[in-house]
Amino acid sequence: MNRGFKMKNISLVYRFVLWFIVVALLPLASFGYLSLQQNETALRSEMLNRMSHLADKKTLQIQTYLAERMQNVQLLARSSLVEAAMADLLRAYTHHRVDSAEYRSAEKPFRKNFAAYIGEDKDTLFYDVFLITPQGEIVYTHEHEPDFATNLLSGPYRDSQLAQAFRESCMALGSSISSFEHYAPSGVPAAFISAPIIREGVLLGVVAFQLDTQRIYRVASDNNGLGATGETVLAKLTGAGEAVFVAPLRHDPQAAMQRKIDLKKMAVPMRYALAGQRGKGVEIDYAGKQVVAAWRYLPELRWGMVVKMDTDEAFAPLRQQRKKLLEALLALAILGGFVAFYFGRQMVMRLRNFARNADEIAQGDLSKRVNESGRDEIGVLARSFNRMTGNLQALYRSLEGRVEERTRELRESEASFRQLFERHSAVMLLIDHQSHIIVDANPAAAQFYGYPLEILRGMNVSRINAQPESEIHQQRQQAITGEQNRFGFYHRLANGVVRAVEVHISTVNYKGKSLFFSIIHDITERKLAEEQLRVAAATFETHEAILITDANANIIRVNRAFQDITGYTPEEVLGKNPRILSSGREGKAFYTAMWQQLLTTDTWIGEIWDRRKGGQVYPKWMTISAVKNEKGETTEYVAIFSDISERKQAETEIRNLAFYDALTSLPNRRLLLDRLHLALSVSARSHHYGAILFLDMDKFKVLNDTLGHDYGDLMLIDVAQRIQSCLREMDTVARLGGDEFVVLIEEVDANAEEASQKVALIAEKIRVSLATPYLLKGHEYHSSPSIGVCLYKGNQESIDTLLKHADLAMYQVKDSGRNAVRFFDPAMQHAVETHAALESDLRRALPNHELHLYYQMQVDSENRPLGAEALLRWIHPQRGMVSPAQFIPIAEEGSLILDIGLWVLETACRQLALWDENEQMRNLELAVNVSAQQFRKHDFVETVATVARVHQIDPARLKLELTESVVLSDVTDVVTKMHALKALGIKLALDDFGTGYSSLSYLKKLPLDQIKIDQSFVRDIATDPSDAVMVQTIIDLAHNFRLNVIAEGVETEAQLDFLKRNGCRAYQGYLFGKPMPLDLFEQHVMGLINRVGG
Amino acid sequence: MQNLSRGKISLLFAISIAVVLLFAALIYSQYGRAKPSIKIGVLHSLSGTMAVSEAPLVDALRLAVEEVNQSGGLNGQQIEMIVADCRSDAAYCAQQAEKLITQDGVQTLFGCWTSACRKAVKTVVEKHHHLLFYPLQYEGLEQSPDILYTGATPNQQIIPMALWALQHQGKRFYLIGSDYIFPRTANLMIKDVLLAQGGQLLGERYVALGTSDMAAVIKEIAAQHPDFVVNTLNGDSNQHFFRALKAAGIDAEKIPVFSTSIAEVELAAIGPDLVAGHYAAWNYFQNVDSDENKAFVARFQQRFGRDRVLDDPMEASYIGVKLWADAVRGQGSTDMALIKSTLAQQTLLAPQGIVAVDYDTRHLWKKAYIGKARTDGQFEIVWHSAQPIHPAPFPFYRSRAEWLEVQQALPGAGP
Repeated sequence: MNRGFKMKNISLVYRFVLWFIVVALLPLASFGYLSLQQNETALRSEMLNRMSHLADKKTLQIQTYLAERMQNVQLLARSSLVEAAMADLLRAYTHHRVDSAEYRSAEKPFRKNFAAYIGEDKDTLFYDVFLITPQGEIVYTHEHEPDFATNLLSGPYRDSQLAQAFRESCMALGSSISSFEHYAPSGVPAAFISAPIIREGVLLGVVAFQLDTQRIYRVASDNNGLGATGETVLAKLTGAGEAVFVAPLRHDPQAAMQRKIDLKKMAVPMRYALAGQRGKGVEIDYAGKQVVAAWRYLPELRWGMVVKMDTDEAFAPLRQQRKKLLEALLALAILGGFVAFYFGRQMVMRLRNFARNADEIAQGDLSKRVNESGRDEIGVLARSFNRMTGNLQALYRSLEGRVEERTRELRESEASFRQLFERHSAVMLLIDHQSHIIVDANPAAAQFYGYPLEILRGMNVSRINAQPESEIHQQRQQAITGEQNRFGFYHRLANGVVRAVEVHISTVNYKGKSLFFSIIHDITERKLAEEQLRVAAATFETHEAILITDANANIIRVNRAFQDITGYTPEEVLGKNPRILSSGREGKAFYTAMWQQLLTTDTWIGEIWDRRKGGQVYPKWMTISAVKNEKGETTEYVAIFSDISERKQAETEIRNLAFYDALTSLPNRRLLLDRLHLALSVSARSHHYGAILFLDMDKFKVLNDTLGHDYGDLMLIDVAQRIQSCLREMDTVARLGGDEFVVLIEEVDANAEEASQKVALIAEKIRVSLATPYLLKGHEYHSSPSIGVCLYKGNQESIDTLLKHADLAMYQVKDSGRNAVRFFDPAMQHAVETHAALESDLRRALPNHELHLYYQMQVDSENRPLGAEALLRWIHPQRGMVSPAQFIPIAEEGSLILDIGLWVLETACRQLALWDENEQMRNLELAVNVSAQQFRKHDFVETVATVARVHQIDPARLKLELTESVVLSDVTDVVTKMHALKALGIKLALDDFGTGYSSLSYLKKLPLDQIKIDQSFVRDIATDPSDAVMVQTIIDLAHNFRLNVIAEGVETEAQLDFLKRNGCRAYQGYLFGKPMPLDLFEQHVMGLINRVGG
Repeated sequence: MQNLSRGKISLLFAISIAVVLLFAALIYSQYGRAKPSIKIGVLHSLSGTMAVSEAPLVDALRLAVEEVNQSGGLNGQQIEMIVADCRSDAAYCAQQAEKLITQDGVQTLFGCWTSACRKAVKTVVEKHHHLLFYPLQYEGLEQSPDILYTGATPNQQIIPMALWALQHQGKRFYLIGSDYIFPRTANLMIKDVLLAQGGQLLGERYVALGTSDMAAVIKEIAAQHPDFVVNTLNGDSNQHFFRALKAAGIDAEKIPVFSTSIAEVELAAIGPDLVAGHYAAWNYFQNVDSDENKAFVARFQQRFGRDRVLDDPMEASYIGVKLWADAVRGQGSTDMALIKSTLAQQTLLAPQGIVAVDYDTRHLWKKAYIGKARTDGQFEIVWHSAQPIHPAPFPFYRSRAEWLEVQQALPGAGP
């Protein structure tokens, strides 16, 4: 135990004293300290303010002194005296030596006046006075020191502070105070005040006064109001980071102007002052003492000033106060301590006697008594104490008698307990806690374990414990703490048999030892029984329903799964006959047979339909066994069953999925192929025609996209039903997916004609049925089918081909406007295949250079070449020349026409550019056809402009031929584009005029240069009067609109003649030349020109 | 102690709590009172023609105020700066001064740029015996018990510049200035001094404020070919003047121009290339080589941006706040009379060097600097006075009465 400081171990007397000091003296001391602190703050601030005030006063004093001196000088400079003196003395100075009588006599009248300025005796204001010419000659001094009659700009003192003041006054025309330095002519430090003498704006000279140390020190060292340790310190910078004291110091009278001190080593207040700062504070001064100081900077002299006083003196009152307070506190503490000690002792003396007597009583001397005198708390305590001692004495005596009596009683009781132990039939052991030795055992124990009693007593309990020590240890601890008192162990008997036992353990004290008192029950049998029960119960709760009846078929028990499957709770079925579960599906015979089998073989297995509590009928798989007792009598029937409805359903589903479409329950593709296969075989035998209909709902995707898949699905179901309603039972309707259906109509007719007729009828029936509106969730929806039909007979064609044919026929319907029936036709297939082949070849034609431009001549009435029309030709490597009428439509189906159109334009322009270099070809126009798609492109105009610019052609020689279909598509856009083209300078011609539906008003709007009379009109003008009239009209029309007109397809002289007669002046046709390759064309043109020119 | 009974522990605890509470009460009674802020008024034009010049001064003032506040404020109180926009209108500025004094209760005013503005505000300040810090160099010939002038008097700027030019460039000089009181008065003094030193005046021309046509002047300068030109132009005219000078092929080598109103801020505005090689005189250049100035420039640029420049009027504004704050701190009071009397003896280690308030004139002892403009927008200091120069608002060689009479007689002196 830690025996450190404890209040309890201190005598009461000292505690009194301690508490007195804590309670009374500490607050007093605190208050004293606080008031001292406050006084110090106040005094400190008062002293600092006093220093600051003194410093200000001192500064002002110096400033005033200097200002007055400055005024003296300024006054003198303005006086007539100085003007006169300057004139007279300058004259004397220039004409005579300064030590001559003439100069002295000139000087004499002025000396007296100057003396008055300097002052007399002790009141002298200045040391000396100077008159200096603007050129720096000192023409007068009062003292005649060595500086007299020297030149301040060039003489020996040109660097002195006098020279400096002179220069400043001269230059700035202002008064000036020089710095305070050692002045060689006087041999002492001095400062100079100067002012210029100006009359009528002309500088006559400078007057200067010399201030000496005496006068400055008198002002500076006035320590009035600074007490015994107070001092004013003045210093100035000397450059190079050094400073010097300018006035004598109290602690170092010789320091003035003598000792230079590194600024960094300077006392802090002076450093502040010299840095131009103004302030106050408690700091360390040059003598290393703590001082109350205020510092100032004097701008006139560039001096730093510190006014200070030692803190020893300044804060003396404070120290006295502190001393007094401490003394008073000490006196108070001593006095109070004594008083506390005295009163404490008085009280404690009696308590001490009390304690001594009480201690003797405690030693056992109960006859002793304590002093009871006094009426205070101690007296009362003593009296009570004495009464208590008396009572104790009496009690002690009566106790001794009773102890003897109890001892006897105990002995008797122990004997009876022993008897109980020995004779009890329960096995009992007493076991030592520590050593685990059996201390005692009763005869029942000896019998149980099979050891003689003598051996059992003294045996270690580990010999009978069948479990390892580690397992038992924890239980033993629990027995000791009393946490648990019933334990299950395994004990080994003498014969080696291990028995499960239940041990009741309690701890008892016997003859000073802690013992376990254990009563042991053999529970081996019980345990076995329990185990079996547990297994049975677990088995019972399986996921299969179990129902047990008695021999009379009354339900006596059911499990949880039974409730889950049948919906009946145990309470609802217990005591009832299982008949309540039956669905009534099985007849009486079924049950009779079941019982028959049960009774003979004791078991029945089979599928049976029952009804759930909710009324639903379901199949179940059930096993019933009869349970017999030893005598062979049936005591119970056990029925085990499971619900197999889901399994049955799944089987059905799987079958459906494989062959039927989930949505419409129609056969799927797989089943269709199956049936087709079959149908073809049948047809091969029967030589009857059959038909395959390929059917697709028009715009089905639109429905799905707009109304959603729900609606689409509903419609498909409807479609399936409608198709089925149009057919015979034996025909197959299959859904291939999406909205595609296939109908297989078998065995139609042996005659092909008849078969077609019949199939057409059926197909038409289906079409009409499917084209009637659909009502989907209240929405009316219109749709129609496209149906492709293909007949078959025998195995001539493969299933794939047949389906493809039907499909092709259906697509033909779609292409030709939907909602119709069409039969497959071999020509159709051929056309499709050719088309596809041409298209893929055309794609390669451009990169393979298979496309060529042919040129057909256009001439005027004199047979002179005007130009040509560029015509596109495709020379296919296998097919040879392919007609534009064949491949242009194919190109127009996709965007291929754009690439081709651009190529034509490029090629034509390139050709124009080449022709430009040929004298004879230079004036030819080239007409290029523009397709509708090409013209409609938003950047068509830019493309033309770019191509024209790239090839640097004359745009007027390029003519674009537009068909009426181009012009009629979007008139506003077309007109805008045509105007833009015109603006580029390109010519525009309207091709095939008269074949379309051009309205005259359009013609008026279009900025055309030329219209072309279609060759269909030209061909018959000579023979057909109506064509003749038509051509005539067109030509008149063109003239009226001021358009050129050209006729194409001119093949005979008669046609030419007619045209010429009717005013058409340009022609194109075989009469003038076929479309021909470039080289031929060029030769042809040359020939023509030469012929004409020749 | 661990064995002390619970009763004793709680007693000791109670005593300690009581002692702590007692101390807390004492401390609270001394320091606990929250102090209101001290208000100061700023009178500068943030709009109108003067805004370009005056707005930077507000930044300089703000820097000074923030520094004072960050170092603990004045006797525990923070300074609150109320900025009034004078809109480049002297009469309006005077109204604002009246409002700041009577309604906002400011302790002092900082502000004004033009002499006209100062004279208008002076009337208000003197009426209320209030206090104004005026930061611009000006023509002098003024003194007021209620104004502290932190800018230069002519003898601290113009006169040293003219003399230096005379010594280094030659005796033939030419004067060009804007036509109002400051250039007229300044040139009067320049003539006094230079003619007394044997200088020769070749021409003296005044143009209206804001004039852009300098052709006549430039032609005359080119013809006369003076040794140097003293330029007291103010405002935009400077730009036209220097541009015309350059256009006429007159460069700084041939005829250097000595300007009184071109500082770093104006240099940036005119374009350093036009002015490079010419001279200007001030009491402060951003280029002043001292530890105090470097720290000052760094603080300013950190607060207002690396690209900002400092110039003389900004530094003078900054000095004003510092002087006033030192006075309030030293006195521990904002009593107007006390502050004014303290201010009269105030000194300060400023960025330009030591400055001190002159007891008689309430102007500052300041060092004079002459700088040569460089192309980088800074001035290279070519000369500075050895010591701070005594401020002489009324140069000694005429009496005050004579001065005022001469000034009144000047054309453009105004009523």
